Amino acid sequence: MRKIIYITSALLFSYVFAEDKSGSSYSRFELITASETSHSRSAEWKPGDGITLEVSGMAWMDDKLAVCTRKGDVWMVENPLSDDRDKIKFNRFASGLHEPLGLHRDGKDILVSQRSEITRLQDNDGDGLADAFLTECDGWNVSGNYHAYAYGPEKDGQGNLWVTLNLGMGDLANNKIGWRGWGGVIGKDGEFVPKSLGMRSPSGMGANRDGDMFYSDQQGTWIPATPIYHLRPGVFFGNQESLPSLELADAPFKMSKIPEPNQPYPDAVKSSPEFTAPAVWLPYNKMGRSATDIQVIDENGKFGPFDGQMLIGEFTNSSVNRVFLEKVNGEYQGACFPFLDGFPAAVVRLSFSPDGSLMVGMTNRGWSSLGNRSYGLERVSFTGDTPLEIQEMRAKPDGFELVFTKAIDAKTISESALSLSSYTYEYSSKYGGEEMDTKKHKVSKISVSDDGLKVQFQVDNLRELHVFELQTTGIKSADGVPLEHSNAYYTLNRIPK
Amino acid sequence: MSVPIFRAQSWAFAFLFIGVLLSRDISHASPHVVGYERFHVDSPNAAGGAILFSELGCANCHGGSDVAVPRSGPSLNDISDRVSRDWVVEFLKDPESRRKGSTMPNLAHGLSDEEVESVTNYLGTLGKGLKLRPGRHANAENGSALYHEKGCVACHAPTADYRGPAGSGESLTSPLAISHPDLKKKTTLTALDYFLSNPARYRTDGRMPHIALDKQESLDIAAHLLDFQASDPREADAHKAWPKAGEPSVQKGKSLVAKLNCIACHAIPGKKADTLISLSAPPEKDAGHCLSASPTAGIPSYKLTEAQRSALVAFLKDDQPKEPGSREDLSLAAMNCYACHDRNGIGGPTINTNPFFHGLESLGDSGRLPPPLTGIGDKLQTEWLEGVLTGKPKNRVRPYMKTSMPAYAKHAKVLADWFVKEDLKTDSPPITIRPDDIEVGKKLLGIQGGVNCITCHNWGEQKSLGIPALDISSLDQRLRPHWFREYLLNPASYRPGTLMPPLWPQGKSMVPDVLDGNAERQIAAIWGFIKEGEGKPEGFPDHMPGQFELTPIVRPIIQRTFLEKTGTKAILVGFPGEIHLAYDGSKGRPALVWRGKFFDAYNTWFVRSAPFENPLSDDVYEFEASSEESGRFRGYKTDGKGNPTFLISKEGQDIEDSFRVAEKTLIRTLTWKPGEAPTVTHPKGVSIEEKKDQASVTFTYSWK
Repeated sequence: MRKIIYITSALLFSYVFAEDKSGSSYSRFELITASETSHSRSAEWKPGDGITLEVSGMAWMDDKLAVCTRKGDVWMVENPLSDDRDKIKFNRFASGLHEPLGLHRDGKDILVSQRSEITRLQDNDGDGLADAFLTECDGWNVSGNYHAYAYGPEKDGQGNLWVTLNLGMGDLANNKIGWRGWGGVIGKDGEFVPKSLGMRSPSGMGANRDGDMFYSDQQGTWIPATPIYHLRPGVFFGNQESLPSLELADAPFKMSKIPEPNQPYPDAVKSSPEFTAPAVWLPYNKMGRSATDIQVIDENGKFGPFDGQMLIGEFTNSSVNRVFLEKVNGEYQGACFPFLDGFPAAVVRLSFSPDGSLMVGMTNRGWSSLGNRSYGLERVSFTGDTPLEIQEMRAKPDGFELVFTKAIDAKTISESALSLSSYTYEYSSKYGGEEMDTKKHKVSKISVSDDGLKVQFQVDNLRELHVFELQTTGIKSADGVPLEHSNAYYTLNRIPK
Repeated sequence: MSVPIFRAQSWAFAFLFIGVLLSRDISHASPHVVGYERFHVDSPNAAGGAILFSELGCANCHGGSDVAVPRSGPSLNDISDRVSRDWVVEFLKDPESRRKGSTMPNLAHGLSDEEVESVTNYLGTLGKGLKLRPGRHANAENGSALYHEKGCVACHAPTADYRGPAGSGESLTSPLAISHPDLKKKTTLTALDYFLSNPARYRTDGRMPHIALDKQESLDIAAHLLDFQASDPREADAHKAWPKAGEPSVQKGKSLVAKLNCIACHAIPGKKADTLISLSAPPEKDAGHCLSASPTAGIPSYKLTEAQRSALVAFLKDDQPKEPGSREDLSLAAMNCYACHDRNGIGGPTINTNPFFHGLESLGDSGRLPPPLTGIGDKLQTEWLEGVLTGKPKNRVRPYMKTSMPAYAKHAKVLADWFVKEDLKTDSPPITIRPDDIEVGKKLLGIQGGVNCITCHNWGEQKSLGIPALDISSLDQRLRPHWFREYLLNPASYRPGTLMPPLWPQGKSMVPDVLDGNAERQIAAIWGFIKEGEGKPEGFPDHMPGQFELTPIVRPIIQRTFLEKTGTKAILVGFPGEIHLAYDGSKGRPALVWRGKFFDAYNTWFVRSAPFENPLSDDVYEFEASSEESGRFRGYKTDGKGNPTFLISKEGQDIEDSFRVAEKTLIRTLTWKPGEAPTVTHPKGVSIEEKKDQASVTFTYSWK
């Protein structure tokens, strides 16, 4: 079944609500999109016709794209880079899996998460169908609660395969007996080796170019807004529902102090050595509402001038955000920027293709999004037309430096063009939290580099562990094109000396 | 392909000479060429001769074969690792003595025993060498079932003691059956398994085609063919290594092989002759030629019947332009496509082989017999046809048929192009899709004011309202539109006896109020919707019970879920045959078995709250609880039939727990190493039969 005609018109309709602002710099190609509009929180939701490609994991197997779906299938997409839809073929590799939410290539094999284990899929007779489903890693509690998802595995620079485990929530939830809200690695004998705790719904992981692992969490209990964390052993990310597993014999460490709730986040972080602040906050609503996958750009410019930065999938807004990180006093911190939007369904998984294009895997399952389709798979390619964006926002001892992707018109930079405020959140068990302690800051001593690519400015009253929100007005390139995205949000955990 | 020039008149000599032969009593067996035996044995003619000319390899020396894929001999690589040396020596001396009906001519009739030994010694050096080792355990009983169901017996004889197919009593042996050599003398379990796992390694001409078998299946079939009834392959006869031959003998063999022109048929090192052996010269004497009963030394000796000779001569004398269709008939006969398929009223299963084709009863003969090839190149899109011939799993659209279409991967393109060239009609009226009619096509496919296609046909994953006739949601990827039009106008003209009713009898629509009752527009609208429409045909109920019911038809279905009385790591296995299993992956033991319907996957697949589920039957039997510690679940593997083997490790012991369903029983086989048999529990309320072996035990669970 080909549905090109109808889908195109339906997409135009959806774009009315979620207009794509990424201009001419990135082109989109739709590989598959659900025929039915989404009512995915309806108790009676059913898929439409064709392949129910609710993408929940992706990895490249040479020139094929392996895709797992929430329904429990693994598909092999042939010719996913073709512009001819007739040449793109979907072949089912495996089925009957229990809600796989992560897919990782390991040589000829595929590792997928299921609710109760990480499973190694093999095709030993080479007929294109999996014939071995081997338990690669298990050892966490699965109570039967719907919210107790398992994600991963994802490999860091040391070769560790990380797995993250959701907290249960609602009927049958049991976070007391084994590693709910924890992240860990796959042990030598396939055991889950817990490493750090305090997660809520850690649905995305990705390592940067130095091999350091990051994960995204989602706003909810104990999590006031969307955080991106540097994932590593021996730390606590804040969600106290994960604490019971500290009592287990295999717990890798003890918390020297459990932070008190109902205090400002900076105070709570400072009160406990293990409590780690997010490397970046993605302020609620302003930057979306629920982060998903993390994908580091490492494409030699083939995806635009953002190599080394992270792309973050965004569920509710059906969009993709961008994150720039720098190390200050040995710890990661940095800024986030809006990037691509207007996708037909919630963006859940991202994967870079061999040709430097980005595969965007989508499903609205379980929630809802601005995209009005239930699921889809799109390819995003950089056209070569560099957008005018704030490429980087860097912390300085007395302010910030902005790096632009193209030379800007120095005349459009002034104190009134740069407006800065800062805020934090309350650390509490509540489901989400408002910004608090908001302050306006004065911008001064602005300087523009001779090449027009850098703008540095001073800011009064810099304060650690706060989000600095930058709103720009009227900045244009030397040839008069306005900024694609005018806002940036820097999480200033530490002030560089 | 080279085209030789026949000079028919020079063959008058041969004709006379054959007249002499006809008076001789020829009692020996003759080469068996199935396409000839089936269609031409009774009336020697040029068409039969053409098949013989190709399939006896005549064309390999003389040129002039007109088949799509030329005949060649098997590759002789690794022969010393696969075949008994004694067998090879005897085969060379007299092929017929080692394999009834062999098409290999005797080339050794002028050689001394020592020279035959030299040839054998040289052949023993071919190939890079194989290191075949016994691996998994074999099951000859399963192999027998596979051999008689998968399609092997379309060409080969059923095994003498086979009593089936179920209930049919005596097995029926066709005189057309291609015999096996005495396999026990020729080869070993491991080598035969290796051969069957991919015949194309050695049989490059597709005459013995590749059937998709997994490792267990090829081994089981090999065990059946060798009548190996034990389980552990190490108990089978081992291959006897060929003694190392002296270099002078090998060199002597090599020069003999070159002299005898073995390279004409077999892929062996060396260079093929640049020129074909001309047929323009008449045989010099009444004896000595390759058609004579006693050819001179170095000339191939075929033990032809008089009729075969006559047919060959008729072919060689024939200078008439070829009848249209004769060439395709030749190719299909040569490849024995006719064993399974009818084309233009020729071929198809015989009275002997027909009972061995099984499928889904509700679909009648079209559910069990391979489809006709009449006009196949006009019916199927070239790429799809090539995919079918290549043996791609997704191109298998009839999951209910037990017989497996072989894969002709190497020849798929040649054959597909060939069918298309023969069949494709260029003058058929095309289908013109009117965009405004596409939505009408949706209605027409449905049951509310339509022509009720979905009453019988599946639509993607959506099951039909009745019998599970093949999926029509992707017809546009398989069929050519003009064929679709012609077929819908008169289905029986393509396949007499089809269950597909004529929906536009005499071109008149059964729904005259739709698109003015215009048959052409209605058919185009249906095609248009299948190709370009959105959604599914009207008439599938919104809340049809069983919409996501999983029904195993040919292969087991494996689905994980949260299951009551099993747990959160439940692995459900639905078997064809209405017996199903739930395995508890957290304890490493089976938990439930039930009979009847299998499972409705809706909640597991699509519902966010992920509720605990239940079997789709009340006829449920719980396994007894175990007092022992459970083992550690390590996953499962499936065999080629999709039957699972669960893997457990327990206190240093590896346990495999396999399940399959046969004849309304659940058969469970446990193997372990090392140590004592593990303790297992059984389902309450079923009869248990136990059969112990050295390191395995099989339990058969049945219901009275």
